[in-house]
Amino acid sequence: MNPSLKFILILILSLAISIKMSLTANCTLIGLALCYLVAKRIPSKRLLVLLLSSLPAALTVFLTLNFFTDQPNTYVALNLSSRIYVYVSLIACLSLTTPASTFARSLEQNLHLPSKFAYGVLAALNLLPQMRDNILRIRAAGMMRGLYLSFWSPVLYFKAILLALNSAENLAWAMQTHGFKEGVSRSTIIAIPLRQKDWLEFASLLIPAMGLIVLFK
Amino acid sequence: MTPLTLTDLSFTYQTKPIISHLSYHLPSGQLSLLVGPTGCGKSTLLKLMAGLLVPTSGKMSHPGMVSMMFQQAGEQFTMATARDELIFALENLQVSTSDYPKRMAKAVAFTQIGPLLDQPINTLSGGQKQRIALSILIAMDVDVLLLDEPFASVDPEGRTFLIKKLGQLRDQGKTILLSDHVLSGYETVCDHLFRFSANALKEVDTANLPALFCANQELSQWSFTLTPTSSVFELQDMTLTTGKQLLQPTQLALYQGAITLITGPNGSGKTTLFKALTKMLPYGGSLKYQQQELTKLRSKTYLTQVAQIFQTSTDQFLRVTVADELALSSNMRNAYFTPERLNQVIRHLHFDDKLDQSVYTLSGGQQKQLQLLLMLMTQHQVLLIDEPLTGLDSRAVKQMVTLMQAVHAALGQTMLIISHQIAPLAPICQYHLHFANQQLNYQEH
Repeated sequence: MNPSLKFILILILSLAISIKMSLTANCTLIGLALCYLVAKRIPSKRLLVLLLSSLPAALTVFLTLNFFTDQPNTYVALNLSSRIYVYVSLIACLSLTTPASTFARSLEQNLHLPSKFAYGVLAALNLLPQMRDNILRIRAAGMMRGLYLSFWSPVLYFKAILLALNSAENLAWAMQTHGFKEGVSRSTIIAIPLRQKDWLEFASLLIPAMGLIVLFK
Repeated sequence: MTPLTLTDLSFTYQTKPIISHLSYHLPSGQLSLLVGPTGCGKSTLLKLMAGLLVPTSGKMSHPGMVSMMFQQAGEQFTMATARDELIFALENLQVSTSDYPKRMAKAVAFTQIGPLLDQPINTLSGGQKQRIALSILIAMDVDVLLLDEPFASVDPEGRTFLIKKLGQLRDQGKTILLSDHVLSGYETVCDHLFRFSANALKEVDTANLPALFCANQELSQWSFTLTPTSSVFELQDMTLTTGKQLLQPTQLALYQGAITLITGPNGSGKTTLFKALTKMLPYGGSLKYQQQELTKLRSKTYLTQVAQIFQTSTDQFLRVTVADELALSSNMRNAYFTPERLNQVIRHLHFDDKLDQSVYTLSGGQQKQLQLLLMLMTQHQVLLIDEPLTGLDSRAVKQMVTLMQAVHAALGQTMLIISHQIAPLAPICQYHLHFANQQLNYQEH
């Protein structure tokens, strides 16, 4: 499916399940999303990490609502904790199957988002691995000068933010030197098509899913 | 074509005037070199010419499309791969789908980056990144190319290749202005040399050029004799891998108390070796520091004995102002840097009037000098120094080499220095290691 339509679909479904409680819909969406990810050959290790990393949040919500409130309610607890998994698995359906550059191009071409926004976000995403390296390097630089910075030390993040600000300025310059001008139209060398087939897929997923959310508890 | 002209141009940063009332014509269709002392404002001038900074007053006329290549090779890309970056740049210029393959093929062939097109840029070496940056300017078909110390982290072969390519671009009618501290290699391509100091750009008489271009002394002029002493690091069947194998199983000792120069082409794995030595990257086989396996040592204690001086100066800074940085290093100051001597060095390097300045607003060269000073002040027994002379003019190079030598003479630390600038460092180094083709070997001449 077209990345922008996929994004809108995820957005609508996420909003819908946060308004209407439906455990049936939550479980169905999680199941479908996982089937989709498996079909797209996402490595099982990656899926496992995804599911396990959201476990603390889901578990906290469940335990709080089931045991530590005035009126414990297992249905509400299950509903809200499964909601976290709906969000995670739906977002994974986009982020793990669509390269960031394709998504940015789609936002620009199909949704007509300002290219400054699309490419700014993309450039920032490309900086993420660098940021991780930076954090490790800052810690090492600290230890080399007798300053032990734990992972919750404000100095570590202050320095990381300083580097990020510096990168942001350089990034804006980098875009400018490669011909980018705000508000000036750009040509399309790599087109991201938005076909009738994409709309059909979108509708055939959205309508039953919305039905499920509205009709089932 | 009308030349790029600056008329009565001024630029003030915060309240500090960097450039005032400068007038200048950049000769069209020629290759000009821009030299000047560390921190004189060369980068600012190039950014003004490229339209990245807006002048406080004055006028600038553009002859056509102007673009710029940065000193920090990695900071000029929006996209993750060279192919995507080329497409991004061509889309910005509204190049059509039918024209794009031609432009792309021409740029790729000219800079020979075919094998690099789909590799993630952040895994490439400095030289490879600069080659990609140049290919993008060629694909964009810019009229004026401004290059800010583009070869600071490029090996001699890469530098020769890129200078040759710039010469060919000049022959095709492009206007090129490039700043550099090392002038060797330009003798066949340089048409003009401008010296930037005291707010004026003065052309150096062509009669004086040959003397300035005196070739960088070749490494073969220096001799190193291996007289093994006790070792500080021992490599036994050590391997290094980052995506691809960089070091095949190697047996080697790194000698205590010596200064060892490490050379090798871009991307051979010199910095990766330093990363392994500072426990920032895993290695294969065995690597021992003072007879103890590195993996068994705690970073917190180990890094108080072994420190790295990073290639990018700002990575080393942990505070905001120059004074705060100096105060932090003073906490673990070594015997050489008595308060009097420290003050003397601070004055000598002209940091005394910059104590309250943010380290991030210093020029590239000044950041490098400060970074070196901060790390030479500490009590480490081993210093891993990655490209200590980047962005320094010849005077600053002399100052820093002398300082390294003096500290080493007084304290006898082990120093490993990675550098492409061999001539100024060779006289203070006892050993020479060469890293190439996945091998790390001592060289004796």
